[in-house]
Amino acid sequence: MQSPFNGIRSVTLAAAAILAAGTAAYAHHGWSWTEDGFFELRGRITAIYIGNPHATLDVDVEGEAWRVEMAPPSRTIAAGFTEEVAKVGDEVTAIGNRSLDEKEKRMKAVRIIVGGKTYDVYSDRVPPA
Amino acid sequence: MDALFAGIEQLAFVRGLKASFVAYPIVNALHILSTGALLTSVWLMDLRIIGAFRSLPRAAFVALLRRVALCAFGGALVTGALLFSVRAREYAAMPVFLAKMGLILLAGVNFLAFVRHAKGGDEPAGGTVTVLAVLSLVLWTCVLFAGRFIGFLN
Repeated sequence: MQSPFNGIRSVTLAAAAILAAGTAAYAHHGWSWTEDGFFELRGRITAIYIGNPHATLDVDVEGEAWRVEMAPPSRTIAAGFTEEVAKVGDEVTAIGNRSLDEKEKRMKAVRIIVGGKTYDVYSDRVPPA
Repeated sequence: MDALFAGIEQLAFVRGLKASFVAYPIVNALHILSTGALLTSVWLMDLRIIGAFRSLPRAAFVALLRRVALCAFGGALVTGALLFSVRAREYAAMPVFLAKMGLILLAGVNFLAFVRHAKGGDEPAGGTVTVLAVLSLVLWTCVLFAGRFIGFLN
């Protein structure tokens, strides 16, 4: 009988290949899924989530529903952006990097401006002043 | 269903978990621990059934690993439910999350079919049992991958 480990090895290799291919296109952890250049989004907040595993804003931009991803809650709250500083219906500007996939209405924000205040959720990545 | 999930998100301990910088990473780590133990025990158990590690007594080896696998599944179920609870509506709407639940269901049915067919002695496994063991390997491995992708597609 052939060693079953030949089977294991091929399954492992296939799995690694699938993972490598998948993460390039889909990763919403990190920044690999976003464009390099800065992107600015203006709209009206439709939902706020400040919590684990990471904070998000849903933003209506002229009828289009956008998802703005922020940092994990510890970092988002440390930047001063809490559930108290914004509410549904508020005008918001999000600056950051949008998805490489043009069809996807999704970006990762480094700076949020709401109610005249600026919150740098990724202060080390904000555009130079 | 949406109202039920919204209700889960509003439970006091779920709101605590959502906001906690300590509890959530711990639950997350325990889920990784459980799934790691589950996948390891499933792989070793199914490989022994298929015919690897013949020097080890089959019945005792399989019985031990089945206990480990069932405990690990229990742990994964509890920690997974907690991870799900903080954004229940969001996860419940994700195709990859639903695919994972479907795969767990299939793996469970496969386990029940295995229990019906396996004789449990030290004699070599028959054809059906071998097929079920291979299916178990494939299904649980797919569950793991589907689970990991939830973190990258939401």
